[in-house]
Amino acid sequence: MGEIIQIVILGLALGGVYALMGSGLSLVFGVMRIVNLAHPSLIMGGAYVAYWGFKLYGVDPLIMLPVAVVILAATAVILYKLVFEREARSAKYSEMTVLLTFALAMVVEGALGTAFTNTQRVTSPDYATDAFFIGDVFIPKGQLYAGMVSLAIIGALALFLKYSRFGYAIRATTQNREAAELLGVNVNLVGLVSFAIGIGLAGAAGSLVSFVFSFYPSKHWEWIAILMSLVVLGGMGSILGTVLASLILSVIAAFVGTYFGATWSTLTFFVALFVVLMVRPQGLFGEKPELA
Amino acid sequence: MNFRTLLTTTAALAMMATAAHAEIKIGASLPLTGGFSIAGAKNKQGYELCVKMLNERGGINGQKVELVLSDNRSDPATAINQYERFINVDKVDAVFGTFSSKLTFPVANILAKYGYVHPIPAGGALRIYTQGHKNLFYFQPDAAEYVGRSLKGLIEDLVPEGERPKTAAVVSADDFFANAIEAGLLGQKVMNPADGSEVADLAPGYLADAGIKTVYTEKWPEEGFNDWLTLANSIKRSDAELIIALTASAEEAVQLTRALKTVKATPKMVYYSQGTQSEFYEGTKSASDGILMHTAWHPAAPFKGLLEGKEFTNADFVKAFTDEYGEAPDEDAAIPFAVCQGIEQAIEGAGSTDNAAMGKWLSERTPENPVRTILGRFAWDDKGLPLNKPFLVAQWNDGELQFVYPTGEFPEVSKMTYPKGGF
Repeated sequence: MGEIIQIVILGLALGGVYALMGSGLSLVFGVMRIVNLAHPSLIMGGAYVAYWGFKLYGVDPLIMLPVAVVILAATAVILYKLVFEREARSAKYSEMTVLLTFALAMVVEGALGTAFTNTQRVTSPDYATDAFFIGDVFIPKGQLYAGMVSLAIIGALALFLKYSRFGYAIRATTQNREAAELLGVNVNLVGLVSFAIGIGLAGAAGSLVSFVFSFYPSKHWEWIAILMSLVVLGGMGSILGTVLASLILSVIAAFVGTYFGATWSTLTFFVALFVVLMVRPQGLFGEKPELA
Repeated sequence: MNFRTLLTTTAALAMMATAAHAEIKIGASLPLTGGFSIAGAKNKQGYELCVKMLNERGGINGQKVELVLSDNRSDPATAINQYERFINVDKVDAVFGTFSSKLTFPVANILAKYGYVHPIPAGGALRIYTQGHKNLFYFQPDAAEYVGRSLKGLIEDLVPEGERPKTAAVVSADDFFANAIEAGLLGQKVMNPADGSEVADLAPGYLADAGIKTVYTEKWPEEGFNDWLTLANSIKRSDAELIIALTASAEEAVQLTRALKTVKATPKMVYYSQGTQSEFYEGTKSASDGILMHTAWHPAAPFKGLLEGKEFTNADFVKAFTDEYGEAPDEDAAIPFAVCQGIEQAIEGAGSTDNAAMGKWLSERTPENPVRTILGRFAWDDKGLPLNKPFLVAQWNDGELQFVYPTGEFPEVSKMTYPKGGF
């Protein structure tokens, strides 16, 4: 029994981090129809902000998190104005953004590599390699804190979307862009702010990733497949779906990894993706593209 | 000026231009981005430093050396294309090898096809040397399959009989190089991937030979694996006294070490295939204490090499590297430097960049009349593997990578810390 509890804990801990990594991606797709393949590369950007804060000034990555959010959100505003805004009304916008963000991912990777070299980095606050022990079962502190901060940020986002006036506007735009615009919603501003929030979440995720995993600029290619599968599984655009898909699949992957071998644990996400696409192509929460 | 004069003048000018620019072009494709980027970047430093120093000393046989470098993104297909391009488009006179068994294996076929001497900085899998190529020269101690010999020797020579580890967990990346070391440790058969024939049967394996029972084995996929805590937890639950982690990169070694620390594993001994780099220590700090790893090079090893025919010691290399880059070198920079020394001596020995002559000269080296590098002496068997070169085993202690085995090799040997205990 202890072993099973342990596996569930490890799965949830990893899933919490995936949830934050995926939720920004999901928000940006839900509101803006941007399939942002550059999202993980921007997560790397957040991770570097946390790394240099830690390396140069010894600042804890959790304290660097808001800094990373601000820097990445500001970057997002510039990117949006430069790259995404002009085609926002195109009927083929989603398709176009796939290529656009693929190129953007390469540009971000190249820029990070030039600025920070391709050497692996990781921040090492004490809790990153420590754990709470309850009898034989342990809870890794780094993953626990990262997971809790992730869920708190996603919770705050959910409240913002559900109860604030701007949140209404974002949800309205997600559901029907034209109708929202007819009712007086400034969809361009909504788009810009949502994009900034989504990329800000990448910055937050990056700060957390910086002490959970080691990273280097080209590492984002390893993330994109898993994150896309989580977002599609949850139902493109549903943040709640992404969170649940992350938690459930990470637990399943931990069981698969323990009982069938580490080689198969990564495959779990893609097998689940195949199954869901066959049985329920809109994803787990695809019908309701806002937070329930 | 009539047409004939013009033609003659042009031809004469062209010949002068060629003579003035006569230089030796050497191509190297390295993984500067992607999974092997850390080692790739250091390989680049090693190659570039050597070429720079050769040119400062007047070049090879009086000809300047030009290094043509490309980033293969840790991708085998790209590495193949780049060597094809070096040979057919850039018309290089010689090549330096690339990093990792994974990239070296396919590249070996291309270089063999064109008859280029193939000096290999990193490519330890035995299968590379059993394809029948006659142009391979490996610049590390031995094939990866035989790394376990050093571990077995170290345990038998340095650990008193009653205190030796009795059980082992062997975890490994599903990678060419890591699988090769594992095959030797566990006594597996090595197959030729081309035709399925048996290359070597390594039974019963170095661990069984040393009286150590393997209680846990696991492999993780080469890319996209993140679940290090679950793996570390399984290792801990196996209660293995010896943890052997065969990672494909230093990054994986960092991830696993941090996870083993988090789960509070307490093995007697830990042995890695990667982790001599300063980045490993930066990511693991005190958790690295007591971790053992094999290496081809150590800053304290009193190797004496040659550069432009003059003595150039390992200590000279450490100083030159530190002056150039502002940081101390590690083996990933030292090995390519030695490769470059080897090619320099081959060109001088052959008297030209005729690769057939260079290959003949290299293959005629003997332990008494070897290629002399900062990694020591090299002479090769007919497969391209070095003769009589033991691996060095190093251990991290208090942030310093100390050289601990074999003990009879040099005076600068440190005492091994044992048992390791916690991370």
